[in-house]
Amino acid sequence: MSYFRVNEQCNGCLACVQNCPASALDYVDDGNKRKLLHNITLCARCGNCWRICPQKAVQFQSLLKGPWEEVATMELVRCVICGEPLYTVNFSADLAAKIDRSLEPLCPSHRQAHPFAIWKKISSHLIPEKETQR
Amino acid sequence: MIVGKLKPLNEIAASIAGYKNILIAGCGSCVTVCLSGGDRETMALARELSNPGLRGDAPPSIRAATFLRQCERDLVKDYLQVPAETDAILSLACGAGVQTLSSVFEKLPIIPALNTSFLGALDEPGVWREKCLGCGDCVLASTAGICPIARCAKRLLNGPCGGSSKGKCEIGGDVDCAWQLIVDRLKVLDRLKDYEKLQAVKDWSQDRGGGPRSSHRVANAPFE
Repeated sequence: MSYFRVNEQCNGCLACVQNCPASALDYVDDGNKRKLLHNITLCARCGNCWRICPQKAVQFQSLLKGPWEEVATMELVRCVICGEPLYTVNFSADLAAKIDRSLEPLCPSHRQAHPFAIWKKISSHLIPEKETQR
Repeated sequence: MIVGKLKPLNEIAASIAGYKNILIAGCGSCVTVCLSGGDRETMALARELSNPGLRGDAPPSIRAATFLRQCERDLVKDYLQVPAETDAILSLACGAGVQTLSSVFEKLPIIPALNTSFLGALDEPGVWREKCLGCGDCVLASTAGICPIARCAKRLLNGPCGGSSKGKCEIGGDVDCAWQLIVDRLKVLDRLKDYEKLQAVKDWSQDRGGGPRSSHRVANAPFE
C-alpha cells in the first residue's frame, strides 16, 4: 500500500510527477497502462503534488497520518511474578554478557518488594554458594 | 534548519492564563528535529500545563496534536483539525508557523511556546549552532564555506579582528573565531591567496535592511 494516494479524479496527466521537487513521483507506461509511482524515502511531504494537481486527486491525508509498520519481532522476557514486559531475550543476553551475570526477570517493583523466599527461589542459581549458606 | 527553544514554563503558563480549552500544536519539521517543538515536546508540555498547581486555578482542558508543517497556509487550513470548543492555540512552531496559524485561525489567539532562535546545523548530538543569518547575498564561495556574517560576532567581511585569540572569539564561551576557521580551511583547500583578496561591499539591501523579504516561484502556481 502506497502512502501516496489519489482518488478516482486522477487522469494521469503527470502534473504531480513533473512538479515534484524531490523527484519522489514517477510513472511507467507499460503496454496500454500508465502506472503512477511514488518513493516514500525521497518524498519531502511538501504538498506540492496536492497543491498543483488540476484534478484535486491527491489525497494528502494519507501522507500526514499513516499506519505503523512492523519492523521486527523478537522474543520478550516478562516479570516472572506479575508478567509485566521487561525486555527482549536478545537484549537480556547482550546485557548479561556486558555485566557478566544473568538478569533476574523481575520488574522494578517486584525486584524490591517481593518476599525474600520468592526472590531466593528465582535467583538461587545466581547467588554464589557462600552467600546462600549464610 | 530553524532552531527553537522552549520558553520558560512560567512564561508559557502566564501566557495561557484565562483560557479554558487549549490546543497545543506541535510542528513536525524543523523544531521536531531540533527537539524543541515536536510530538514529544508537545505531549510533555501538555502534561506540565495540566498540573493543577501551575496556574493557581483549575488547569485548562488541553488537547495536543502535531502537524507536519505549520508554516504552509493551505495545508494548515485544510488539514489541521482544531476542536470546536478551542479558545486558544499554543504553538510550538517557529515564528513563521505561529503567524501562519494566526492568519488561518483569525478569531483564535495563537500563543507561541517557543523562542525562535536561529538558522543552524547539528554539530554534534544535541548541539545546534548558528550557521546562517539569511542575509540574502551569500558569501560562502569566497570564505571557504564558513559564514563570517553568521559566525563572526562582528560580521566582518575582512577579518579577523584583534579579538581573535588561539582560534577563539573574544566574546567568550567556546565560540570559534570564524575568520580563524576560514583561514584554516583556505589552507586545507590550498587557496590561501584568496584571503588576500579584499571583499567587495556587500549588498545589504537583500538583508533585513530592504524590509520584509519574499520569494515568488511563478512556475509553481497550480494549474487552472
